[in-house]
Parts: sequence; structure tokens; C-alpha cells
Amino acid sequence: MLFNSFEFILAFLPATLLVYFVLLRQRLTMAAKSWLLFASLFFYSWWNVRYLPLILGSILFNYTIGGLLAEYDADRPKAVSKRAIFVTGVIANILLLCWFKYMDFFIATANGLLGTHLPLLKIVLPLGISFFTITQIAFLVDAYEGLVEERNLLNYALFVTFFPHLLAGPILHHKDMMPQFERLRNKVVTWKNLYLGLMLFFLGLFKKVVVADTFSQWASAGFDTTQPLTLVPAWLAALSYTFQLYFDFSGYSDMAVGIGWMFNVSLPINFNSPYKATGMIDFWKRWHITLTTFVTTYLYTPILRAFGRITFSRSLGAIFLAMLISGFWHGAGWTFIIWGGMHGLGLVVNHAWKKRKLPMPGLLGWLITFNFVNLSFVFFRAKSLDNALRMLGGMAGMNGVMLHRSLATSKLLAKMGITFGGWLDAIKGSDRTWIMVLCAFPIVVFWKNSLEIVSRVRPAWSWFALLLIVAYWSLLDMSKVSEFLYFQF
Amino acid sequence: MTTLETLEPIFREVFDDKSITLRRETTADDIEEWDSLTHMNLVVALELKFKVKFALGEMQKLKNVGEMLDLINKKLA
Repeated sequence: MLFNSFEFILAFLPATLLVYFVLLRQRLTMAAKSWLLFASLFFYSWWNVRYLPLILGSILFNYTIGGLLAEYDADRPKAVSKRAIFVTGVIANILLLCWFKYMDFFIATANGLLGTHLPLLKIVLPLGISFFTITQIAFLVDAYEGLVEERNLLNYALFVTFFPHLLAGPILHHKDMMPQFERLRNKVVTWKNLYLGLMLFFLGLFKKVVVADTFSQWASAGFDTTQPLTLVPAWLAALSYTFQLYFDFSGYSDMAVGIGWMFNVSLPINFNSPYKATGMIDFWKRWHITLTTFVTTYLYTPILRAFGRITFSRSLGAIFLAMLISGFWHGAGWTFIIWGGMHGLGLVVNHAWKKRKLPMPGLLGWLITFNFVNLSFVFFRAKSLDNALRMLGGMAGMNGVMLHRSLATSKLLAKMGITFGGWLDAIKGSDRTWIMVLCAFPIVVFWKNSLEIVSRVRPAWSWFALLLIVAYWSLLDMSKVSEFLYFQF
Repeated sequence: MTTLETLEPIFREVFDDKSITLRRETTADDIEEWDSLTHMNLVVALELKFKVKFALGEMQKLKNVGEMLDLINKKLA
């Protein structure tokens, strides 16, 4: 089920909330939690019930392994060592992800390298598998290292499946979540949380269906067309995607956090105005924050440890490797590996720059960072390497420059080799395209983000009116179904 | 028993700043180079120096020098 669907907003969410709080009011904590788990699994199965056994199996498997690790008694060695249990658990998770996500990539790569003709398996990626796999690997690591004290299957299953975050994050940590579900017993409906949660939810919905879905038409037309793009439409398509991705993914994260608040559960913040960043280090402190934390803790640090004695150059190597893996985690393709590599490289340069204490004026830093991120998202969005290179070619002006018909009278422009005509036809654009792209810049750079806005909300009529307008506008624009971009990862 | 004085050289090396002096209350806000990444470098450097091992999941939560010191002493005990 999508957050941006009528069945979710008008039926699923209100019904889940209502039953949940009725049960809590009756002090039936167990029943309330079970209801939330049931609702989450229902939410998951709505898309395809065939994958319900998969997620349940994954939860039971990891919970069992986690339990074995947490209770392993070092003084009474068993036939199987603790390390062996841990390694088996982690490998099983990685294999599951490989099977569903990377099999075809491996087969295609093998075919390309060896000249074989193995058929592709065309496995449908189960929703959320990338997310519930890595949160559970973190759980196993913590259990292995003695950090898992609380053992409760219901709390654990809720931590993994709680429907606001299940499909695309924020990436949760069991230590932050399980105690919250443990403490639920006395929680009754909190009007303030409900109000603020609704506010954040509808701001997120607005970002998704009004803003992101508008940019998406030009981005899709530009990236999916086979005809060569001239300079201006190529840039507009790339920028459209960069804005679409931000408003889509941060809108989704806002909705997730907002829904969490309605249930009195606090989810971590995932975005903090990333396009204000003046450097790559800064960017990753603001973009997909929960992923940055996860990668730093469970990827970067083990790599660094494996390198032995710490030197600056080794830490740079570890950063690059961690970002490369993070890129591949996003998707099974060379484009994602290149995307990860670019960001790894960007971080390495930024750290080296900082280490030498070289100067970087804020405006120049922003210009470099934003453009670098924009270029990297060309690889992130393009369906293939060829596709990405074609887009970059257009942005470099290899397919010439075409401007609007009305400028055809200018002899100077014509002398420069510029042609005139339906300049934005290739991306199905109109004047609205460049106006919206231009307007997006001051919004992402100077405006307060949704969380900052919600932190100022007061129980006043003016705010309530804003809520109604945002909600009404979003619901009107919701007629078309569009998935969130991060569902494909 | 590990003390602030024994931590100081490690901090100075990781953050490449010879002027660092530590108090128990020192946090990332007091040292310019101390960010989430160099934090991890610091913790791994402490591991190597004191031959202790931190759990990955507890590293990020160490907010100030005092907490680090206490955890190291707990692990050495």
C-alpha cells in the first residue's frame, strides 16, 4: 500500500490508529502491539502476499540467531562457536539479498565476461528487502558483540515491520526502537502528537504528489527518450530528477516520521536540507542521514579495523570502499557502483582538502557540491551506462543548442550555431518546466525544511488552515498512482 | 587505571592538533576536527592503544571524553 493512496489515508491509517488507541485505553498492551504488527503485515501484503512468508521467515531466522548469540555462554563451549553462528547468520542475510536483488546482475556480468548465454531469472524484487536485511544484520552484529539485552519477539517483529518505515526507511536501530515498543503500555492518544504528525504527514504528501510528481514527468521523458537531447532540455531533465528525488524521498521520510508521531513513536530524522550543503561531507550529514550513520558504524569502521594501524590515507581508502558498497546496495548495476564511487571520491577529496586546511568560500563550495551531486544523480537515475553517457553528452552540448522559436530573429545567436524550435519538446516540457526548476533553487537553498516548519506549528487557526490547504491540494493531485523512488532499492 | 593524560596523545594524533587538552566534559563541539567519521577513527585508535574492543553499536553513542574513559576502564577491569 502506498502512503499516497486513498485506501491508505482514508481507511488503513485511521482504522489502524483507532483500534490501536482503543486497545491501549483498555490497557490491552499486548493486543495493541499485536494489532500494530498485524496491520503492518497487512500493509506489506497489500502489494503482494507472496512475499509475506519471506519477511516472516527473515524475522524468525534473525530473531533466533540473535537469541543464540545473546545467550551464548563462553564458559560452556558448544559444538558450534559463537563466531560460526554469527557468520552463518550474516551470510544467510546477504545470500537472501543476493538471490532477490543481484542474481540477474551477476548472471549478466558472467555472460558478458565469459561469453556464456545463461538466461536471466527476472526475479521481482520484494519490497523493502534491502532495508529489512541491513537493519537485521546490524541487530546480529550487536547481538554478537553483547549489546542486545532486550529479548521479546513481538517488540522485535514490530521494530522490523512497523509500517511507516518498512518499505524505504528511515533505517532504524533496534536499540532506539524496541524500548519504545516496550514502554507503550501507558501511552494514550496525544492530541499534540496527532496534530503535529498529521501536519508533517501532509507536508510530506505535498512534497511527493505536488512537487516530486510534477518534476518526475520531465525527468522521465528526458531520461527515457532515445532521441538526442540538446543542451537546455538535458540540463532541465537532470535538474528535474535531482529535485524529484529530494522531494520524493524526503517527502516519504516526512510522512514516515509523521505517522510515527501519531502512534507516539519517534523515528529518526532522515533529511536536513541536503541541497544547502557546501561540501560533500556536509551533504552526507544532511542526505539520508540514517544511511550515513549505518554506513559509518557498520561498514566504514569494520573496514578501518581490518586495515590495522590507522593512517589518514587508510581512512580515506575505507571511506571510498564503504561508499562503493553503499552504492551497490542501492541497486544491482554499474550505474549505482559508479554513483557510489563518485560520492566516495567526493568525500575523499573533501577530507583531504580539509586536512590541508585549504580555503573554500561558501558559495563556491555550494556550487561545486550541488553540481557534483546533480551529475552523480544522472548515473543514479539512468537505466544503463549508455543512457547516462547520452544524458551527460547532451549536458555537455554535444547535441547542440536549441532555443525557443521567439529568439529566432536574433542573427547573433544564429551565427553561434544555435538552432530554434520546440526546444523542450524532447522532455515533454513547456515554460512551466524551466520556471519550476528555477523556483526550486531558492526553495531548497533558502527555505526552512518541513521539520523546521513543523517545529514552529502552534495550535492556532492559521496553522490549522495551512494544514487543510496542504492536505486538500495534495489529495486533489493524488488521482495518479506513483510509487516512491526508494521502493525500488 | 587509564587517565585523561594517557588519552591526550591519541587525541592529538587522530585530530592532528598538538594544542588539544582534555577534560572529562570535552565533546566533539570543542574540537574542530572531531566529526562522525574521525570519531570512529578515534575509537579504533583507542582500541589499538589499550588492546580493548568496543562493540560497533556502542561507538556512536560515546558523546564525551569522560564516557570513553569510563568504558575503557570498565573493559580493562
